[in-house]
Amino acid sequence: MRDVRSWWGKHGHLVLFLTPALVIYGMFMAYPLISSLTYSVYEWDGYLRRGFNGLDNFVTVLTRWPYNERFWGAISHNALFFVLTFAIQTTLGLFVAVLLARKWRGFAFFQAAYFLPHTLSLVVVGFLWRMLLNPTWGAVGQGLRRVGLGDWVQPWLGQSDTALVTIILVNAWAWLGFPILVYLAAVQAIPREFHEAAVVDGASPWQDFRHVTLPLLLPTIAMVTILTFIWDFNAFELVFVMQGASGSPSYATDLLATFFYRTAFGDPTTGGEPGQIGIAAAIGVLMLIIIGFVSAFGVRFTQRSQTEY
Amino acid sequence: MSRTVRALIVSLVFAFAASALAQTTLSFWSWRTEDVAAYEKFIAAFHADNPDIDVTFTPYLNTEYNTILSTALQGGGGPDIVHLRAYGGMESLAQAGLLVRLDGQVAALEGFDPGVLLGATNRADGGVYGVPFALQTVQVLYNVDMFERLGLEEPTTWAELLAVGDALKASGVYAFANGTKDGWTNETLFGAVGPTFYGGTPFFQEITAGETDFTDPRFAAALERMVALRPYLADNYTGVGYTDMQTLFAFEQAGMFAAGSYELGNMAQLNPDLRIGSFAVPADDAATPSAISFYVDGSYGINANSPHQEAALRFIEFLASQEFGQMFTDELQQISAVPGTQPTSEALAGMVEMMNEQGTPYLMLTAFRFGQPSGSTLLQNEMQAVMAGDKTVADAVTNIQRGVAEWFEGFQ
Amino acid sequence: MAASSPASRLAARVAIYLVLGVLAAVFLYPVALMILTAFKPTPEIFRNPFGLPESWGLDGFLEVWRRAKFGLYLRNSLLITGASALLLLATAAPAAYALARYSFRLRGVLFLFFLAGIMIPIRLGILPLYLLMRDLNLLDTPFSLILTYTASGMPMSVFLLSVFFRNLPRELEDAARIDGCTETQTFWRIMLPLVRPGLATVVIVNVVPWWNDFFFPLLFIQTDTWKTIPLGMQIFFGQHLVNWSLVFSGMVLASLPLLIIYLLMSRQFIAGLTAGAVKG
Repeated sequence: MRDVRSWWGKHGHLVLFLTPALVIYGMFMAYPLISSLTYSVYEWDGYLRRGFNGLDNFVTVLTRWPYNERFWGAISHNALFFVLTFAIQTTLGLFVAVLLARKWRGFAFFQAAYFLPHTLSLVVVGFLWRMLLNPTWGAVGQGLRRVGLGDWVQPWLGQSDTALVTIILVNAWAWLGFPILVYLAAVQAIPREFHEAAVVDGASPWQDFRHVTLPLLLPTIAMVTILTFIWDFNAFELVFVMQGASGSPSYATDLLATFFYRTAFGDPTTGGEPGQIGIAAAIGVLMLIIIGFVSAFGVRFTQRSQTEY
Repeated sequence: MSRTVRALIVSLVFAFAASALAQTTLSFWSWRTEDVAAYEKFIAAFHADNPDIDVTFTPYLNTEYNTILSTALQGGGGPDIVHLRAYGGMESLAQAGLLVRLDGQVAALEGFDPGVLLGATNRADGGVYGVPFALQTVQVLYNVDMFERLGLEEPTTWAELLAVGDALKASGVYAFANGTKDGWTNETLFGAVGPTFYGGTPFFQEITAGETDFTDPRFAAALERMVALRPYLADNYTGVGYTDMQTLFAFEQAGMFAAGSYELGNMAQLNPDLRIGSFAVPADDAATPSAISFYVDGSYGINANSPHQEAALRFIEFLASQEFGQMFTDELQQISAVPGTQPTSEALAGMVEMMNEQGTPYLMLTAFRFGQPSGSTLLQNEMQAVMAGDKTVADAVTNIQRGVAEWFEGFQ
Repeated sequence: MAASSPASRLAARVAIYLVLGVLAAVFLYPVALMILTAFKPTPEIFRNPFGLPESWGLDGFLEVWRRAKFGLYLRNSLLITGASALLLLATAAPAAYALARYSFRLRGVLFLFFLAGIMIPIRLGILPLYLLMRDLNLLDTPFSLILTYTASGMPMSVFLLSVFFRNLPRELEDAARIDGCTETQTFWRIMLPLVRPGLATVVIVNVVPWWNDFFFPLLFIQTDTWKTIPLGMQIFFGQHLVNWSLVFSGMVLASLPLLIIYLLMSRQFIAGLTAGAVKG
């Protein structure tokens, strides 16, 4: 008894400090994530769990048509989503951040402007761009017609070869402000003396960027890249709002998250298909593995590169 | 204050309290967000005869209703009265024991057409679990004034249909308002164009019996006709979504619209002056019969876990009554499933006549939505690709057959 | 740079302004167009898509406010986001403090346990989470969202706050102990006020995604009573898709709260977000 009391006297405050966070985090985040692992190895009938069926659900997702076609399609779309977003933010985004770091007059305004779409809900972003891009009366098409470029008007969201890229660009419009801001903060954190030393050595602005700014930004770039990866492999709202749960047209914009949603809850537009929890859980676990492994690897890599200087 | 007034007030208060005690409030969930005002009228009419029962109508967004309803019912909750989808959409709920079996309980159901009751029947036990509310037909709608202005008539052969399309295009509007951006509208287009060319009900009976399958040349021939209409659809049709189609037809930028009968009500809201006619897509020669698709839109059911079974049954009986059927048709401009109701509008009466003479069950919805991947999902996505020129009809047929064969016993 | 002539430096300066200006137009124009369009009735949207509206009436907004129960959604969003932020601070701060300022046997394990969640989005656990909420009878209540948001914000917040706590000097606790403060009093009275910038960062990092979240309300909230702005608006858009004027008004109303906060305090906003990202 005394042991307990003295233990409490010594550690009671720790229990007090840690328990609420552990309970909420454990119950509403760790438990669901861990149980979705178990869901994926059972057969399900609607919301009722039936027998253990090993890796059958995974085999279904990876090998049985049409699941396999959807799965690999979705992965390749998510990958393109990430690669294009990464390319835009580390070229255009980084370039703009480096320019903004000069802090000339009016740059605060630009900085605010670039970030503004980031505050909009993706539901609003999706509806706004769906209307702007509408080929019959959308503002983009009408604008092109007014300047005599009517031939350029295309059903961007309706063609399988342009729909996904269009969605990615819309996403970039809403997202780019964030990497710009982070890069800007990182560029501004570089001590002025570093640049001054480079200028004294006769470096051009490009050389200054290449040999001073870029190396010092690498950890930040890596961190933003990992965040982008996690985000892009979870993307859902834009496609759901703009192209529906089945990634119209003909799954050309289908992502892992829309595939997961459709499998778990049925496709709402076709009305009344039963959801398949076991297969959906298997898709979720595969997403978890992809995201978990790649980001853990990314973090390791970042830490290593950070210790180098 | 005089004593009599005080007594009056007291008795009034008591009366109120008493009626409040006896009052049952039924909850009623639906996906018909557009029909709130109409349902409030229906409920008021019911309440007038049944003052002890009140009903609250709660509509959810069409695309989310299924998820919301099935999760609520599975969790033991949900509304007392359920607006049910038809066929495969309601069957899983009935099979899971979440709905009250109504045949034998609701006398009026015996007067319903057996084909119509199929839309609310659980195939496993043959029981009827809902009172069907509306029938929908899928055909070509056209702008009557525009046709008259251009001297056009309802086509009786396929060549005439194309000629009508050319004339409309020449006059500066689109022939068809249809586009393909929203997957499900491809199925609607097929529902209007297909039946005439796959041969209507005989083909339907053969394929549902498993005597033929989707590789049947009649099915491919029907898909080909859909493809043949591509030059007559809206410009950039792959980017034209459902609401765009409605806008194009309602505001007279297109002369025809392959669509469901439910558009009559929508069009009346968007442009009340629009006069709408309808026809079935004709075959190559006028002698070959043409066909249109029809289906049961859904039904009204009772939640098996509802604590107000008796009140719910009384409301359901009202929904099966002729009084309600007529009100429904008049108010919503849709074909009521209740036998003996008379459509008051000319456009709707035309559709009812077509349905009775040329109607065939809407292929994928009525027969191939009982498993995943459903025939509807397959048709919608495959034809979307075909219409965009990304796939051939032969590829689409192969995939539709392969997908349905995954679960449809008739093909196994 | 030093060798270039004043003329070419001016040209470079103009070019930079031009590039940044064009880019700013790309980001701002659609938002501006959305706001302008919201003032136009539907026929005017077709007739005059790009010009200024003929009148600046607020009818569209009033109609959305009335028809879409916007006030209700706004209240719900405020309550849910606010309650989540409070709950997150109340639970993450003490946990971060314990992990940052004490050494005990489980510390390393617990820290890793929290950290693991940073990389894994909670969405992937949606099925069990959904059934858990159902079994706890929390579906269709604000608590389902508050608890989910708090849990999902926990890993990053514990991590960020522990960085802030770790940077505080050790003398503070010693002084507090000499004054006879208990551990809890030290935390509450001395340490917590010192990490206020950290608390602000945690709030800003989390509030934006919560406010705009659409996925969890879509699954957890079924009746109007607790719908948040993104969900309410999505449904409203779905119902009135052909009434473009109403849809644009709805979009503007839905975006306004965060937009105003952002315009009023963009500096703090940006500072908070970048601190979160750079530290993370």
